[in-house]
Amino acid sequence: MKLAKFFVSLLICVACIVVLNTRWVIKGTPVPPLGKFLDPLNGFWQNIESTDFKTTKFTITGLTDKVEITYDSLLIPHIFATNNDDLFLAQGYITAAHRLWQMEFQTHAAAGRISEILGAGPEGRILDYDRGQRRLGIVNGAQHSHDRMMENETSRTMVEKYTEGINQYIASIRYKDLPVEYKLLDYRPEPWTTLKCALLLKSMAQTLNMGDKDIEMTNALKLFGKENLELLYPDREPATDPIVNNPGNWKFNPIRLDSIPMAVPEEFIHVKRLPPSDPTTGSNNWAVSGSKTATGSPILCGDPHLNLSLPSIWYAVQLHGAGVNVMGASLPGAPGIIIGFNDSIAWSVTNAQRDLVDWFKITYQNRAREKYLLDGEWKATTKVIEEFKVRNDEVFYDTVVYTHWGPVPYDHSYHAEDQRSNYSFRWMSHNGSEEVLAFFKLNRAKNHNEYLEALNYFGTPAQNFVFASVSGDVAMRVQGNYPVRRKNEGKFVLDGSKSSTGWKAIIPNEQNVMYKNPLRGFVSSANQYPADSTYPYYITAVNWEAYRNRRINQVLRESDSISVQDMMKLQGDNYNLKAAESLPVFLNYLDTANFTKEEKIIYTSLKTWDYINTAESEAASYYEAWWDQLMPTLWDEMRNRDVTLSRPTTYTTIKLIKEKPDLSFFDIQETPAKETAKEILQISFKAGVQVIADWRKNHPQSSTVDWGDFKDSYIGHLLRLQPLNISVKHGGNHDIVNAHSRTHGPSWRMVVSLEKTGVKAWGVYPGGQSGNPGSYYYSNLLDTWVADKHYPLSFLHTADEGKTLYTVSLNPVTK
Amino acid sequence: MKFLLQLIVIALLGLVFEMLLPWWSIALAAFAGGFILATRANFLAGFLGIGILWLFYALLLDAASVAPLAERISKILFINKPLLLLITALIGGLVGGFAAMAGGAIKGKSKRSTDDRYYR
Repeated sequence: MKLAKFFVSLLICVACIVVLNTRWVIKGTPVPPLGKFLDPLNGFWQNIESTDFKTTKFTITGLTDKVEITYDSLLIPHIFATNNDDLFLAQGYITAAHRLWQMEFQTHAAAGRISEILGAGPEGRILDYDRGQRRLGIVNGAQHSHDRMMENETSRTMVEKYTEGINQYIASIRYKDLPVEYKLLDYRPEPWTTLKCALLLKSMAQTLNMGDKDIEMTNALKLFGKENLELLYPDREPATDPIVNNPGNWKFNPIRLDSIPMAVPEEFIHVKRLPPSDPTTGSNNWAVSGSKTATGSPILCGDPHLNLSLPSIWYAVQLHGAGVNVMGASLPGAPGIIIGFNDSIAWSVTNAQRDLVDWFKITYQNRAREKYLLDGEWKATTKVIEEFKVRNDEVFYDTVVYTHWGPVPYDHSYHAEDQRSNYSFRWMSHNGSEEVLAFFKLNRAKNHNEYLEALNYFGTPAQNFVFASVSGDVAMRVQGNYPVRRKNEGKFVLDGSKSSTGWKAIIPNEQNVMYKNPLRGFVSSANQYPADSTYPYYITAVNWEAYRNRRINQVLRESDSISVQDMMKLQGDNYNLKAAESLPVFLNYLDTANFTKEEKIIYTSLKTWDYINTAESEAASYYEAWWDQLMPTLWDEMRNRDVTLSRPTTYTTIKLIKEKPDLSFFDIQETPAKETAKEILQISFKAGVQVIADWRKNHPQSSTVDWGDFKDSYIGHLLRLQPLNISVKHGGNHDIVNAHSRTHGPSWRMVVSLEKTGVKAWGVYPGGQSGNPGSYYYSNLLDTWVADKHYPLSFLHTADEGKTLYTVSLNPVTK
Repeated sequence: MKFLLQLIVIALLGLVFEMLLPWWSIALAAFAGGFILATRANFLAGFLGIGILWLFYALLLDAASVAPLAERISKILFINKPLLLLITALIGGLVGGFAAMAGGAIKGKSKRSTDDRYYR
């Protein structure tokens, strides 16, 4: 009997262990291995962090000298090393200690490897995403950049040491120390590689510079005709204040291409487009010269707008080493500082928007897709077989065809609804470039010349680099590799059977849009059109920003003896220029005769609104609700087609409502009546009021419809697990300087005063230095960010200066 | 009295084993406790020994927390924090209980067979 008892209890015990040590997927919901996960001595409970830090010492192989790391009260590490190698090794180690999971997840996402962690996903959506990443040639582009990185001694050592640091950290941790996401999803980190540094930068390029409208424009051209096209989608909108307004001063000989008549494509393109760069992604930056500031020293400001996520996009750090003292925002996974300042200069970036993507129509010889037509000859394609090790599933193989143009993302097996047409995808970021080296040099630049020299190495994603120096210069440079384009080139799908339609030359760096110390006393950029009309190259983009840039320039023009506080206030400026330019017109169109009580209240509220999108404004909610109904109602022509089309921009929409209220596009096609702008506004106003009424019904606890509540913003965790997201009530919106829409917004805010007595800086971002949802430092900076305030950044000159939270010493192995 | 000793030994062994080995080492601890100090309630000793160890350890960590991680994890698992603590203790308890029962059964078996020889 006892023997039976022994076996039965042993069996149950072992069975429990096996079951509780395994990850299960129950009806599509993954359940972590509960025993392993809930074990308080090793599982997720161990990720609960107290704020009680201890000074620690580690011995790290690969170091040549001692590295001292001082954490300040915001958990920003100040790394003090005696040479570059140790500096980057320590940066890798420390970044991994706080952000390991995020670094790996983001590079897995870039490389199309998420399905290895999460499985194929509901309806295969995760696998579909992964296939898209491979088919767009992201990994291919990263490999090219990696090759360039490895060719140069400086950049090679930089990424190798950084990688070594990350791997030292990975090797040093046990299951217990793993970030909670690994435990939740039950997998382990793999070794970091130098290629991952390149992948990370390519994924940023994808976020920023993969936008294009070639397919949409081609469809629109066929559908609406050339005249309407120019009306609806002009190359340039009249109101923008270009980044560099320098008429008649472009003193160089531009590259001229023999203009060949562009074959205008005459067909519809049926593909289910992968999501392009989000058009509300954007950024602000500006620098004011000493002549306009209270201290007489330049002030530089920057706030890049991205999809706000947790763990935070940026990791603030100071790097102090041989000949460098630089501080600012780094991207976890890339060595150096991306946006920041040193003892002599400061810089920040906004996206340059330019069209760096083209699609070429491919004529295959036959269904085998082994040859395609080029200049009258059949040229061989390259087929790459991509392997996807889908979790808990069979390995998936996908064949991607490459022509000399680039990959063919959409074909019979992927997202193409019409299998006869195939298009090759050409993206500037498929090229290798040397951004890592650019940042190495920029981090160490001492003056305007060294800034220019550093930027010569920056290829993609094209950025507007604002600059200011202690010596008193302010400057702007729209840097990137841009193809020399013929008029209209890049707007439509191109003929891929002629090599003459391809990119022939890259605009030389010294001919890129730039200037220094303009008379107006400031430089600024907010994703608007880059140059005045005398700039000799043809410029096109998916969209140009139309409001933030004018508001920023207006405030800067009107201001004198500017203080740091004024600049912080401008970063949080909620003035809705778009509303100011559109609402009075909209309200005039409304027929108020038969308004309901609710409609009357909202109408009156809008009439007296000051156009400021504060978190508490109710009128802002009414305006935005109206606007969100207006766009789809008006542009039903684009919505109801079986081909992909894009809507005209906000600016063009408002302009047409004002200037051409009888335009045929205002007619709603589904209704027999003939609508004009007036009816469209009436209909969308009523629909907006209805949205507000529904919101009230769903939020009985709120007595008012505050914009911050109505907008319903949140900072989302990368895994899209709702309990790890954090909701925020904040003002602003896209098209407003405080560009916080529901999901996108200022991901890092920085103000730098470049005083001769020492550079002073302030910064904040919506999250925190720790990537651990169990840490106070996961989101401790958020409240200050929501209040549109900044923290003073402690920019140290010695390791033992200033207040410290704790210190970490990294020691080399002693023989 | 012996039961209490057994319970404490299981909890302490669990604590030590888990410093070096993965979570399932609690089974080794409970098995050893069941074998060495076999009582009439081996299962209960293992269940309470590990269950209490896990419960208190989790409570201790949670008490020092500044960020609401346990709440966040509970929501991911569609439960609340008290239930999360309960499940944590229950899982440790079950594995510990059956392991201690198995350990006790071996001891019991060898002891009983000795008894049989002498008294039958």
